[in-house]
Amino acid sequence: MTLAVEARDLGRWYGDVVGVSDVSLSIEGGIVGLLGANGAGKSTFLKLLVGELRPSRGSIRVLGEEPFANARLYRRLGFAPQQDALWGDMTARETLEFLLRVSGSTKTDARRLAVRALERVKLVEAADRRVAGFSKGMRQRVRIAQAIAHSPEFVVLDEPLNGLDPLARRDTLDLLRELGAGGTHVLVSSHVLHEVEELTRTIVLLHRGRVLALGSSPEIRALLDRRPRRVAIHARDPRRLARALLDLDGVTAVRLGENGLLDVETSRLEELQARLPAIAAEQRAGVRGLSVSDASLDALFDDLVGGLR
Amino acid sequence: MRALAAASWLMFVTSLPRLLRSRRVLLVLLLALVPALLAWVTTKISSRPEPVEFAVNGGWLLLVQVVTPLASLILGSAAVAEEVEDRTLTYLYTRPMPRAALLLGRWAAIALVLLALLALSTWLFLVAASGARGGGPEIGADVARPLASAVLAGGLAYSALAAALGAFVKNPIVVGLGYAFAVEGFLANLPGRNQLLTVQHYLRSLIVADGSKTWADVEGFVGAGFVHGTTATFTLTAIVVASLVLGSLRVTRREFVMTS
Repeated sequence: MTLAVEARDLGRWYGDVVGVSDVSLSIEGGIVGLLGANGAGKSTFLKLLVGELRPSRGSIRVLGEEPFANARLYRRLGFAPQQDALWGDMTARETLEFLLRVSGSTKTDARRLAVRALERVKLVEAADRRVAGFSKGMRQRVRIAQAIAHSPEFVVLDEPLNGLDPLARRDTLDLLRELGAGGTHVLVSSHVLHEVEELTRTIVLLHRGRVLALGSSPEIRALLDRRPRRVAIHARDPRRLARALLDLDGVTAVRLGENGLLDVETSRLEELQARLPAIAAEQRAGVRGLSVSDASLDALFDDLVGGLR
Repeated sequence: MRALAAASWLMFVTSLPRLLRSRRVLLVLLLALVPALLAWVTTKISSRPEPVEFAVNGGWLLLVQVVTPLASLILGSAAVAEEVEDRTLTYLYTRPMPRAALLLGRWAAIALVLLALLALSTWLFLVAASGARGGGPEIGADVARPLASAVLAGGLAYSALAAALGAFVKNPIVVGLGYAFAVEGFLANLPGRNQLLTVQHYLRSLIVADGSKTWADVEGFVGAGFVHGTTATFTLTAIVVASLVLGSLRVTRREFVMTS
């Protein structure tokens, strides 16, 4: 079976700056999330994958082909870049028709495919408005539409949920799931773990240009769970709460912050979350809010690679 | 090669309407009106210039030496560099077409629009110059034909150079302006064979080859020191072809790093 992506010792530098380094991975297909904090090398990896860049070392094959300037591959590939750049003087419909035409579609086909793609990203009503007047979320949807308009086998999307409002975000996730269910390979990059978890269980974790983990989201979570987690609790009386929490199993440190903030470090997050309401009531601490500080991948990576630095 | 030709044609067809609506074309249109406007103002405020003399001197200075290279650079550099600057190149680079088609198709569209604008500029200038009140003969084909051929040939050569420059350097307009006005201006005024390195020399040679007595009398363009008309045409064609071939190779092989 042809792999969707196969990278061997892939490396790419920009002068002295490492984009990606020693990346070896095989992605069979389906929906895959590419996770990494900002600067992790996600965009560089995707640019290598779509042939916008050449590897400095190693190799990458996409659908069995070397991607750089490979016109044959581009018939089978759709790419939505992260950069918020479109032709501002063109309407959404013209943008799609133009790109479909230069892809070889006839005028009639381009018109039909453009409308279909705009329908799929729910942008039909704005189809004849100039892109320059679009919101960030609408432009994002145009970028997604041009990537899927020619019904490619493999869709690569760099941070496609950036700038979308909750409704558009949900629609986009539905669209990507629909594409996946229809047999299209979808690779989505993001720096937000829960976004990707909503879409797929198959995750590639990039950190500082290297693949940190490749597996299912529970496996990634398990990696995380072996590390202490930090929880920020806002309480009316944080001192009383701190004393009580220190007696709890798994809590390794508690720090008092300003304005009622309590910074708790625990290796047993679920137990803390389960017992906190009762403890808070018992201590009359007046808990106003709780947030797990590693919800973003930055913190996840900090946890996972803290020992490697 | 057939795929390249087909893709270039598609690029040409799809680029033309976009180009016609672009601000660059509007800018070049305004630029194209400048020689006629200056000629009209001059003929209104002064009764001294003779139509023919004014058309030859002004045509060479304003049209061939300023408007043609400037308009060509403004439009020609848009072929690739504009997509890089606007970070829209990614969309075109991930399409199933030879990358060279981007440069060739877009340059063809640019050249068509540019030549139309330069022809308009030349015609308007000559109409305005014919209003000069200094007496003497009227502007005829012996003035207009050499001027138009130099302007149009210059447009093709400079725009191809600018399109190719856009594939090599980040700021093709700046580099192109430096070449057209500083380097060419310098070399064209040096004695000896240095002039062979300038586009202007071949444009002058085209005018000389036309055999116009008016141009010889007024601007001093006479045989000695100029290349034969065939050589000038061949060299200008070679400049266009070489620019497009080198630009195409560069576009095909070069990575353009788009930042987020």
